[in-house]
Amino acid sequence: MTNKQTILIIEDEKNIGNYMETIVVAKEYKALRATNGLSGLSMCTSYHPDLILLDLGLPDIDGMDVLKQIRSFSRIPVIVVSARTQEKEKVLALDNGADDYITKPFGSEELLARIRTALRHRSQVSDAAPEQQIYSRDGLVIDFDRRLVTLNGQDIHLTQIEYKLVSLLAKNAGRVLTYDYILKDIWGPFADTDNQILRVNMANIRRKLEKNPAEPYYIFTEIGVGYRMKE
Amino acid sequence: MPMREGYTEEMKVSREERKIWRTNAVVTVLIMGLSTLAAQAFFHYSRNSTSVAIIYVLAVMLVARYTTGYVPGIVAAVFGVIFVNYVFTYPYMKLNFSIDGYPVTFVGMMVVSGVTSTLTTRFKKQNEMLNEREKLLMEAEKETMRANLLRAVSHDLRTPLTGIIGLANTYLDSGTKLSEEKRTEMVDSIREDANWLLNMVENLLSVTKLQVGAAKMNTSPEPLEEVVSEAVLRFRKRVPGTMVTVHVPDEFLMVPMDAMLIEQVIMNLLENAAYHSGTDRPIDLYVEREADQVVFHVRDYGKGIEPGRLKTIFDGSGSDENASGDAHKGMGIGLTICKTIITAHQGTIQARNRDQGAEFLFTLPMKGKDDHDE
Repeated sequence: MTNKQTILIIEDEKNIGNYMETIVVAKEYKALRATNGLSGLSMCTSYHPDLILLDLGLPDIDGMDVLKQIRSFSRIPVIVVSARTQEKEKVLALDNGADDYITKPFGSEELLARIRTALRHRSQVSDAAPEQQIYSRDGLVIDFDRRLVTLNGQDIHLTQIEYKLVSLLAKNAGRVLTYDYILKDIWGPFADTDNQILRVNMANIRRKLEKNPAEPYYIFTEIGVGYRMKE
Repeated sequence: MPMREGYTEEMKVSREERKIWRTNAVVTVLIMGLSTLAAQAFFHYSRNSTSVAIIYVLAVMLVARYTTGYVPGIVAAVFGVIFVNYVFTYPYMKLNFSIDGYPVTFVGMMVVSGVTSTLTTRFKKQNEMLNEREKLLMEAEKETMRANLLRAVSHDLRTPLTGIIGLANTYLDSGTKLSEEKRTEMVDSIREDANWLLNMVENLLSVTKLQVGAAKMNTSPEPLEEVVSEAVLRFRKRVPGTMVTVHVPDEFLMVPMDAMLIEQVIMNLLENAAYHSGTDRPIDLYVEREADQVVFHVRDYGKGIEPGRLKTIFDGSGSDENASGDAHKGMGIGLTICKTIITAHQGTIQARNRDQGAEFLFTLPMKGKDDHDE
């Protein structure tokens, strides 16, 4: 018997639910469906899925509350599905413990990539697997042990803060990290909530890593939300 | 309760009147006091009551200019006449109306005050009327734009929807009668129409966002390069296969804006170039800094814009004429929305033809109008 990973889809819109189910089933995941928040929660406790796709606009309870309740008893990866309206909603979802979000309308590749990333990061945490030692993508290599960054074999000189930023993003490659999360992680819990300093540092990093700062290849911006490093 | 309302209305009016009264009184007393001081000093040295009278004439004029209504000017004139007579002409500290030429001074000051107050009052009224008219015009312009949009929307949303529903029905009904190739083609059309609808809906969302925040634009300083790169990324996802070369200044620039809306503008302009230039040559998107503003350029190397349309291209009015010949109708709406967004940012937008192809450029001021320095 193959050990399929289970994905719980909490979505009231039947068509979108069908769409997501088709995508994940085609990739050898097992799909469960819930059409409202309460049944979603109960299915989450009884089936222990490996990942949840959560729509925020549910008929019975607010998707954000579902997320908070799930987080009160479980660290299971949650990907929030939202209609593109407000960045604030996305940030709130991420700050409330969502692993990632995806905006409607989305393509199948995009959804699967998010699912893969979320599952991978979760397994790293739960299995206490040795943390990855090296990030290496298309010429950019970050050696976390030796605190070394090279681009196509060339040493890249980063400041302390810049290195911390890049390595934080690289360790979470594929996931979006919010401004707040990054600020707290690097500048400490009492950091100014003004994200200007972060964005200036990111601009400097971009000038050191990217060929064209206007067409970044490694670190992507999600304005109003945060940054995401190439998976 | 109408009674109550009328009452408060009256209260408001009387309060406003009282306020005018108070400023009038303060201005009058201030100017007359200052001129009396000046006259006093002047008189002390020269003993010339004619010059003193001139000072008071000037004071009366100033009072009439800087107060509302006729009363303060007249009061000032009467005060001036009496004061000049009482203090500055022989016999000092006594009223004497039998001096030679006295009526002339009196009438002169009265006329000066009368004419000045009449002029200022009329001027103020005219100004008010102009302001009012301008406001009405702006309202009308907004209304026309809204009407244009609504008309275009109801017209343009139906077309792709008809296509989507029709094609889906045909697809389901036809079973296996149609060739696989034909069926793929149908689904492809459905996708294209749906994408077009999505674009439309996003533009409309932008407009509602603008109208909700009409009083104040929600701008915050954003890194220019991040906004540009995200817009380009989203454009590439939307229209794969179109080449864009991007260039931003090396300097790190923070520009006050609503990032989502500016992204929408960039995407609309890129899409416009992709669909209407009639060429596959790469689109240039570059940004330059010019003194206290940044200028965004979107250039294509296609067939350019018909000269007749250049003037009205942002009005959204031309969408009907070209609907027949254009596969992607309704881009006019996209451009209208661009203009609305840029205008709300206190920037400018224009379109022009170059030696080869068309160029759209828009500006954003580096400093917001009500931006507090940070």
